[in-house]
Amino acid sequence: MSALGRSATVAIGLVASLRFPASADPKTAVDERSRVEIQPSGAAFTQVSLDNPLGDIRVEGYDGTAILVEAHKYAPDPLTIDRLRVSLIPGADGRVRIATTAVDGREFRPVARSQVRIDLLIRAPRNARIEASTAGGRLQVENMDAGGELDSSSGSIAIKNVSGELITHSVSGPTSLRQVFGSVDAATLWSDVDLDSIGGHKLVASATMGKIAGRRVRSQEIELTTTNGAIMLEAEAAVHGQLVVSSLRGNIDVKVRRYGPVMVRARAAKLNLGVPAADVERQSGWSRALVGAGADPATLIELQSRYGTVQFAVVE
Amino acid sequence: MNCGDVQIALTPYLDGELDIDRGREVRGHLRSCAACRQVAREESLLRDGLRALPTLDPPGDLWRGIARQLANAELADATGPRWRRVVARWQRSLRGLTVATAAVAIAIAIVAAVGIWRASHRGLQAARPELAAAPAATAPEVAIAPVVATPEGAPCSSLGPRDLAFDLKTEPTCVTEAYAAAATSLLDAALEQRALWSDEHQSEFNAKLDQLRRDIDLASEGRPRQRAYRALIRYLQRVTSRDEVELAGVRGAP
Repeated sequence: MSALGRSATVAIGLVASLRFPASADPKTAVDERSRVEIQPSGAAFTQVSLDNPLGDIRVEGYDGTAILVEAHKYAPDPLTIDRLRVSLIPGADGRVRIATTAVDGREFRPVARSQVRIDLLIRAPRNARIEASTAGGRLQVENMDAGGELDSSSGSIAIKNVSGELITHSVSGPTSLRQVFGSVDAATLWSDVDLDSIGGHKLVASATMGKIAGRRVRSQEIELTTTNGAIMLEAEAAVHGQLVVSSLRGNIDVKVRRYGPVMVRARAAKLNLGVPAADVERQSGWSRALVGAGADPATLIELQSRYGTVQFAVVE
Repeated sequence: MNCGDVQIALTPYLDGELDIDRGREVRGHLRSCAACRQVAREESLLRDGLRALPTLDPPGDLWRGIARQLANAELADATGPRWRRVVARWQRSLRGLTVATAAVAIAIAIVAAVGIWRASHRGLQAARPELAAAPAATAPEVAIAPVVATPEGAPCSSLGPRDLAFDLKTEPTCVTEAYAAAATSLLDAALEQRALWSDEHQSEFNAKLDQLRRDIDLASEGRPRQRAYRALIRYLQRVTSRDEVELAGVRGAP
């Protein structure tokens, strides 16, 4: 670890730093592992910001108070591995920033980016919010309680067992969210979004050239949008909840488990609302149906695909 | 260093022949000039294509044949009359001239082809009316944008051989370009549908689009601009996939 930020709020201890002449990765010739533990001297850590454009980030929440950083660097030669830096920049308000970079200089011979790598494994207190970004590396977050914002270019984003408000965006990396108990906003351009066991108040997900698949979704407000990809959703119809699913070209398949009456309104090139035709009211290109008894609809559902199909079913 | 200087220095730059200072100047210009970056990318793509051509293994007895011909020629030079040596020298120089002429002609043809392609490409871009509405008879295609992130995470990795520090510095711009390309593609899809909208919906769309574009212009380079592009993309995704959202309250990020 180098370029350590100087601050009185934390105590940093170098646990180990080992360099190996040969690596498990055949593409690289040298690798180096180092570990650092950051102890809060005053207030607990509230936020960890991570920026690693050179490899993977894995964040695991635990019940302790310190932040443990394990960095694994790979490079073709010892001189290049010295160019790879991990910076810890502690802030005064319980925030810590961890960033990786490569030192620039005329004294270094040019090295292609594909020849080097830094993987970060972070163990952080569960209550810290996570802000993390990678380029092509994987971004994994597990067992955290304060949500966060995660950003990836082409690397995948995988979240498991996270509470709190969560925002993810990626250009072409697939996004997988499992056991998220907080509001979610997941956006991707050219990849898929996979949702499993989402329980926050609001779920917003979008993809331009990818599909969205959701299972065991229990959010009060759900909005799923794709431009070209299909949308498959198995959700529980929350009382007074709203569900908006729309796509330009993709097919939509929504299955809802209901606990009260559901009002569904849909429009598509081909439509199946799963109710007898006599129960469907048609108006201005829209088809409406009320499923279940009751004067006021408990759940409002709007489904539309301009050039695709819409399939809807209620699971009693 | 202006665009003209950079485009002259581009070939030696891509070949790694420039000295460090000159190389830095070119890199600096490429960071700030999208047009030159585009030229560099195209040239780099052309090189990649040429490099990807299969290599031909010469036959095993090729060199033996050449050596035999050289030996015969030297024997003839040593033993033949003087006038024949003069004629042979003329023949050799004419043959060399022919090869050189052919090489020059091929080079001119390649440069002309690239120039014509570039001109037509620019012409197409200029011809695309930015806010021209066309009725959507069929589903508008939303193409995958040309700038796509690579597995290494460097969306504009076709810029040729570079150092990783340069890659890291230029990466935010490359990611922004990817978002911009996606937004352009979605905007095309939205504009194709605009004719189907009511006047009120159209004017609301135009106003919102202006506002989001302003936000992009005002945002600083890097993450803030990417965030502004994401807001535009989210809006365009919504307007292309929906006529209207009747249900209130489900809008925006949490």
